[in-house]
Amino acid sequence: MSEKYTDELEVAFTPLNVCEEASRCLLCHDAPCSADCPAGTDPGRFIRAVRFRNFKGAAEVVRENNALGAICARVCPTERYCQKGCSRSGIDVPIDIGRIQRFITDFEEATKMEILKKGRSNGKKVAIVGSGPGALQAAASLSRLGYEVDVYEKESKCGGYMRYGIPEYRLPSHIVDKEIEHIVKLGVHLHTSTEVGKDITIEELKSSHDAIVIAVGANRGKMLPMFKGNPHVEIAVDFLKRVRDAKGKVDMPQNVLVIGGGDVAMDVDVTLKMLGVKNISDVVYEEFCEFRASKKELRDAQKLGVSIIDGYVPIAVDGKSVTFKHRVIPGEIKITADKIILAVGQYPDVEGLGDIKIVAGESNVPGYGTNDPKVFVAGDIAHLDKTVVAAVRTGKDVAYFIHSKIGGR
Amino acid sequence: MIKKDLSINFLGVTFPNPFCLSSSPVGNCYDMCKKAYAAGWGGVVFKTMGYYNFVVDEVSPRFDKLDKEMTPFVGFKNMEQIAEHPLDENLADIRRLKKEFPTCVLIASIMGSNDREWEELARLSEEAGADMLEMNLSCPQMTSHAMGSDVGTNPDLCRQYCRAVKRGSKLPVLAKMTPNITDMVPVALACIEGGADGIAAINTMKSICNVDLERKIGLPIINGKSAISGYSGKAVKPIALRFIQQMRAHPKLKNLAISGIGGIETWEDAAEFILVGASTLQVTTAIMQYGYRIIDDLKNGLMHYMDEQGVSHLHELVGLANGNLIPAEELDRDYKIYPAIDLDKCIGCGRCYISCYDGAHQAIEWDAKKRVPSCNKDKCVGCLLCGHVCPVGAITKGEIVFKPGRGANRKIGDIVF
Repeated sequence: MSEKYTDELEVAFTPLNVCEEASRCLLCHDAPCSADCPAGTDPGRFIRAVRFRNFKGAAEVVRENNALGAICARVCPTERYCQKGCSRSGIDVPIDIGRIQRFITDFEEATKMEILKKGRSNGKKVAIVGSGPGALQAAASLSRLGYEVDVYEKESKCGGYMRYGIPEYRLPSHIVDKEIEHIVKLGVHLHTSTEVGKDITIEELKSSHDAIVIAVGANRGKMLPMFKGNPHVEIAVDFLKRVRDAKGKVDMPQNVLVIGGGDVAMDVDVTLKMLGVKNISDVVYEEFCEFRASKKELRDAQKLGVSIIDGYVPIAVDGKSVTFKHRVIPGEIKITADKIILAVGQYPDVEGLGDIKIVAGESNVPGYGTNDPKVFVAGDIAHLDKTVVAAVRTGKDVAYFIHSKIGGR
Repeated sequence: MIKKDLSINFLGVTFPNPFCLSSSPVGNCYDMCKKAYAAGWGGVVFKTMGYYNFVVDEVSPRFDKLDKEMTPFVGFKNMEQIAEHPLDENLADIRRLKKEFPTCVLIASIMGSNDREWEELARLSEEAGADMLEMNLSCPQMTSHAMGSDVGTNPDLCRQYCRAVKRGSKLPVLAKMTPNITDMVPVALACIEGGADGIAAINTMKSICNVDLERKIGLPIINGKSAISGYSGKAVKPIALRFIQQMRAHPKLKNLAISGIGGIETWEDAAEFILVGASTLQVTTAIMQYGYRIIDDLKNGLMHYMDEQGVSHLHELVGLANGNLIPAEELDRDYKIYPAIDLDKCIGCGRCYISCYDGAHQAIEWDAKKRVPSCNKDKCVGCLLCGHVCPVGAITKGEIVFKPGRGANRKIGDIVF
């Protein structure tokens, strides 16, 4: 396991490994893995293609079902989805589906395949606000259906949380670049450094496009009231973005306290270790049996020596010292660190985006429509899991939903 | 998804793609063939029909398989004989299939035990609507010695039965060869002389897959005994390719129309059969193991291969390797190739060292401390066994040199390796 921030943590399969792994696959009838992929990437089909030495066909299956196949291959919490029902678990351990998918998409890249093709133009235009996984998948699906697509991103580069949140060692920038390149080749127009509601209004977009997709994501990190104004506290997503922007060249103190137990918290833990931080304590509200982070991420954090303390909730803070009490067993702990990072959830910011109501982090209208017939939602604010693969699903769904509403010439 | 025309004309019949079920358990009735056509197979060789008086009586169980490491079905042993359904039922199935799938090819496989039966079976098959006939001269597990591979090793009988079939029908005729013979060419020549239009090769090899060590009985066990029967699957592919090449290399069989059979499982296997001269392909064992769905990757993979090769019709690939397979005495023996060892890739397992010492010429030297191999060129003969055993592909073809006193007036750069 490499421990450099800019190197991929997980080692890639060689052609021999991938064939061995694919030959472990039982090639199930009505494969449970395929049923469990939110994005419909169809692992049962692409593993079978690898088993029969059809790597190009495997790449077609991945890419046509998932425009962010190379990203999902790296960041998907597969044990929650495709690997959950893997029949091989009945013998030993599930097939390493993510890594097989990564081999396939690396092969696709190495052989310079261009699988996705723009559909015949239907003369309709769609604007997409945001450029995370939901937005990019929607752009790809709509373009394949013949729509002219404009993507508006307030940051200088597209990708959203995949670009600014997920650490480099899990998802290298060049992979994000390549996935976006494929989508640009489909004819999608990207407008970066353009904030809708500020640089261009939602009304302007509505007058120039037939539909608008709001896919802004949950990009704001939550603050707990007791930590407000504390100079030692940093919000997790802001910290991850700062490290990613600096390519890991960030100075950190030797003692850091992390609060939170989701995938973002684990990303913070591992990132800190890679930056050379000696002592990291991560205090988590959930107990291990109810943990939210993916097992792989938890394993990586623990392997690198992060102390994870489960079942505690913060009750008091005094500068660098935080007091926690156990949720069930009477007892308290007090931890003093030079820096405190809060990874307790994110929320979307839809200011200036028209008549969208957010309730508990999601649009108040079920499905992909809103009260405005021209405005649709995708990504984190749609009603689905808050993972990249679920966002991809919302992107596909919203594209077909729009097509069913306004499709045709 | 890539789209390429996989159709091919074979003996005047257009196949939507070259992939067919071979005459075997996988094409035994209407429902199976219907599912196979729907899955995308280009043709079906319906399970061999015998004449009215031949009663099939099968054993139970009837299969065995050879495993190696994690791979089951390296080879597969089958004791089943020809179709167990009555002839009229089979003919009715053929009629119904041709009516419902007019563009898919149906080949009737037949087997008689005398001239009259062969002739009659050919006539009945044509009447039922078959597009082509295949004469099964090669099943190695028949309970009658007047049928199957005992016939297929006798050129005179083969010629005679081909004539009988041609009397019974105008359809194109394939003669299916047995590999249980030293040289297939005399039988193939006799069949062509008798009127056969093409050759299907190969049927299964006579085999004993495994012996039960406790009970001292071959497998599968049928009331305490077993019997020799046909072996198929990936393990027989090299033997099938060899027989096909030998026929295509014979001056009288140069452009012989061949339906290739023997261990086809992937598109790469299929492409190999095409390159040695097969125009259509037949599959059984891989279907028995994985189902008709393997057609997806056979077709898609073959399309990608055509795309890479820049060909738009499959027939352009047929037989392209025939001219590059020559007698051993004609090969260039002037040079040798040393291994190139990529130490960045090497994981220090030492497999190359072991194999070179014990199976070759003791040329790979081993630094025990660093766990690093190197090649001693004084001892190396350039066999490249080391490259075959390396699990990480770290050993490839390296420097080429002419043997001492050889290669005068020749350039290393001209060598195709």
